Amino acid sequence: MLASRLIPRYTVRPVVAKSTLPKVVSAPALSQWSRAYSASSDEKDLVIIGGGVAGYVAAIKAGQEGLKVACIEKRGVLGGTCLNVGCIPSKSLLNNSHLYHQILHDTKNRGIEVGDVKLNLANLMKAKETSVSGLTKGIEFLFKKNGVEYIKGEGSFVNEHEIKVALNEGGETSVKGKNILIATGSEATPFPGLEIDEKRVITSTGALSLEKIPESMLVIGGGIIGLEMASVWSRLGTKVTVVEFLGQIGGPGMDTEVSKTIQKLLKKQGLDFKLNTKVLSGDASGEKVQLTVDSVKGGKEETLDAETVLVAIGRRPYTAGLGLENIGLETDERGRVIIDSEYRTKHPHIRSVGDVTFGPMLAHKAEEEAVAAIEHIKKGHGHVNYAAIPSVMYTHPEVAWVGQSEQDLKNQNIPYRVGTFPFSANSRAKTNLDTDGLVKMLADPETDRLLGVHIVGPNAGEMIAEGTLALEYGASSEDIARTCHAHPTLAEAFKEAAMATHGKAIHF
Amino acid sequence: MASFAAVCRATARLSSNPAVGARGLYICAAFTSSSRCLAAQNFTMPALSPTMTEGNIAAWNVKEGDSFSAGDVLLEIETDKATMDVEAQEDGVMFKILSQGGAKGVQVGTRIAVVAEPGDDLSSLEVPAEEKASQPAESASKGGAAASQASNSGSSQSKSSAVNTSGGGSYVHKLPLLPSTGHLAAQKGLSEEDLSKIKPTGPNGRLLKGDVLAFLGTIDAETPATISSRFEKLGHLDLSNIKVAAPKKTEEPAKKEAAPAPKAPVIENLEINVPVSLSKVVEVQNKINETLGVFLPLSTFISRAADVANSDLPPASRQPTADELFDQVLGLDKVKAAKGTRGVYLPQISAITPSSFVSAPSKKSDIIDILTAKPKKQASPPVIPTVPGLSSGANVFSLVVPKAEGERAQVFLERCKAILEEEPGRLVL
Ligand SMILES: Cc1cc2nc3c(=O)[nH]c(=O)nc-3n(C[C@H](O)[C@H](O)[C@H](O)COP(=O)(O)OP(=O)(O)OC[C@H]3O[C@@H](n4cnc5c(N)ncnc54)[C@H](O)[C@@H]3O)c2cc1C
Repeated sequence: MLASRLIPRYTVRPVVAKSTLPKVVSAPALSQWSRAYSASSDEKDLVIIGGGVAGYVAAIKAGQEGLKVACIEKRGVLGGTCLNVGCIPSKSLLNNSHLYHQILHDTKNRGIEVGDVKLNLANLMKAKETSVSGLTKGIEFLFKKNGVEYIKGEGSFVNEHEIKVALNEGGETSVKGKNILIATGSEATPFPGLEIDEKRVITSTGALSLEKIPESMLVIGGGIIGLEMASVWSRLGTKVTVVEFLGQIGGPGMDTEVSKTIQKLLKKQGLDFKLNTKVLSGDASGEKVQLTVDSVKGGKEETLDAETVLVAIGRRPYTAGLGLENIGLETDERGRVIIDSEYRTKHPHIRSVGDVTFGPMLAHKAEEEAVAAIEHIKKGHGHVNYAAIPSVMYTHPEVAWVGQSEQDLKNQNIPYRVGTFPFSANSRAKTNLDTDGLVKMLADPETDRLLGVHIVGPNAGEMIAEGTLALEYGASSEDIARTCHAHPTLAEAFKEAAMATHGKAIHF
Repeated sequence: MASFAAVCRATARLSSNPAVGARGLYICAAFTSSSRCLAAQNFTMPALSPTMTEGNIAAWNVKEGDSFSAGDVLLEIETDKATMDVEAQEDGVMFKILSQGGAKGVQVGTRIAVVAEPGDDLSSLEVPAEEKASQPAESASKGGAAASQASNSGSSQSKSSAVNTSGGGSYVHKLPLLPSTGHLAAQKGLSEEDLSKIKPTGPNGRLLKGDVLAFLGTIDAETPATISSRFEKLGHLDLSNIKVAAPKKTEEPAKKEAAPAPKAPVIENLEINVPVSLSKVVEVQNKINETLGVFLPLSTFISRAADVANSDLPPASRQPTADELFDQVLGLDKVKAAKGTRGVYLPQISAITPSSFVSAPSKKSDIIDILTAKPKKQASPPVIPTVPGLSSGANVFSLVVPKAEGERAQVFLERCKAILEEEPGRLVL
């Protein structure tokens, strides 16, 4: 299908000048990549639409590379979804609600007696806002430092080189760019028939700033975002029920064994799950919000209700108002901007990275792509290794993984060997009285090359970095096992799982 | 010194991807000429685009001993983006072809042939040593080739083994070695010279434990490379089969920014079920077990059947592409009749059970579609009570595919059925 995007049909028969250098890349090609970048005053080398992770990282990187760059953002603050209504505020609430929950339920056995514990929701939110605004201002500072022009407003294509900006403060301006980067991100996918008011029917955005703790909450969608928000409010006292279509929580990418483990642990914390259940319809007209659900197999229709319903069925690319139609750019069926392997749209000087295009919707993926796109523009080569992108769910315990899951390997008939190590056999976890979970490794049975790492347990999100590094370097489980890990640390469980993968763990 | 055609040309034949079309002007490749040998020169896998790391050799248009002139197409290379012709820039003679037509996943920089100058006496020519086989594609495309040539120039030239690409290379490994690799080498008493014979398959040309195991003969020699090519594939975004959204019919009136009107993607999926009996397969399985003492799991039969059934499937019904329309205009469509393509289907299998209270959920549909519970009960086929998993008797093979691919998927399943029910023995002979 992609072929049809290519209208001009060249027959390219370049005659390349001879040179004595190894001609892997020809000289004319190189000069093409870094063509004259210091042109007329109002034309930028690069105009970026969107100041989220993808956009702001690209802007800073481009500034560092000496490009004349402008970044258009309509939100009024930089950082996009991630910093304002995503990764950062959610982690603030997760961390502090966990502390609160722990003080309530997990102090006596540690010999700590606390008196009256009270929650001040307004201050909890304020702590979150302080973290957020510190970080977004930091980006604004980095823009200044790297000479990035920050245009506050909504950008839309006039033509292939010109972007019109409706300024937030009123009025309009326009910028021209030799290169343009579309980094407009994503938005929550709405649930048809339920209007989002961000008070009773909310997306993650509303869930990050509720003004009072709801008595009950129904979460549609048991993916990472749904479970993180469910954890926050459940810890603060809300009765939470998660309705998930699939037979497992955490999304289809999470290893099934890990998913079952975390489900059990979250259930112990008070979350309720309805798996293999589809939501047929919703009704927010009454005092409570009602959902009609049915078993996936059919025939068990029932009605659930709650004070609040969180719609967390996924996110979709956001290109509204961008004027893609003005330059003939199409999206795919899911609304993703169509790109090639160098992030170019069918207009080669217009590229796209981050949530608005293909691949997992993750901030660190957006960041890697942003850097690679700038390298393509400036140096003609950039690379992201999509085989080693970690995923983390910041519940307690955390879940983290990188590489392939056991069900992936099974489905593709790829042979593998499994090694696991439980945190209950790890000395640090024992001293921390935090022993739930395990490290699971998958490796090729012949070469021992690592294929995937799956962790559910305390600090899994930090520990997965080691697995990612191992994958990036093509390590075998033996390589990990032969690397010294400090004692006593949780990371020793990682090492022991590696030992169990090609041989035997010492402590289990 | 060597004055032979330093350059060859690549022509994007079917500009089937914007990457190729747009980058077309940059495409060039080189006969890497050896300074050690006056007449014969190594011809390495060219990088046809900046990101190309490997390619398949579709076919050679010249045979060993053939003379060619500038402009002749020497070979066709397939990448994930397109098939390209590689043309000779100057006259010459094909001396040795080292990677035959059909070779898959040949790394950029790997020697694929040796060419000589016109008039050379082939019978007295020496095959030059391979220059840069250990050079990973990535650094090669950054111009790292020069460095590797220099670092290898000291290695002695071994005449006979050099012809064999797999056996004759000399590799300078990145240090330090991985802990497992160093340990294994010490344990098995491998010398530095031994190690330099091992072809590394790790990222950026790193020597892995599996490479040493393969060298020692502990494991299959091909396994490390197979795994590496799998990682290579996983390392890229899957941009195949992009389905362009249908153009919006009516422009929605201006809407609130916070909650744009739902434009949930509508993908009409079709579920196709074909009952398949595995009893014949079980028969063959038992027979093999009895006569050869080898137990082949059912999954082996099924995956091989799927492999065979996937070849040459009828294309999905769709709108003609711009290229096809262009061909129609030129009257070329008759010449290039729509060819079948290889599918990537894997059937979902569930056993048919007598009890009817459980039925296999048909996965794979888009979660959004399902949560929104689009009424997709279009004349649903008779529901056969099934359980996930295999039965040695009757099973249901099913696929959920976009509607346009219905025929394609049906053909695939019918073929699976025919293969497994009629002659499953041939799958494993
Ligand atoms: C609740 C939640 C938690 C998350 N947690 C994590 C996590 O823990 N880890 C993780 O990796 N990812 C997480 N994510 C995902 C992460 O936020 C995204 O992957 C990331 O923000 C993508 O960055 P982006 O730059 O592509 O898009 P965005 O961050 O969405 O940024 C796009 C920006 O473009 C602006 N924009 C759009 N159109 C225009 C226009 N026409 N003109 C001007 N500006 C425009 C938007 O205002 C927006 O600020 C989370 C997401 C959510 C919702």
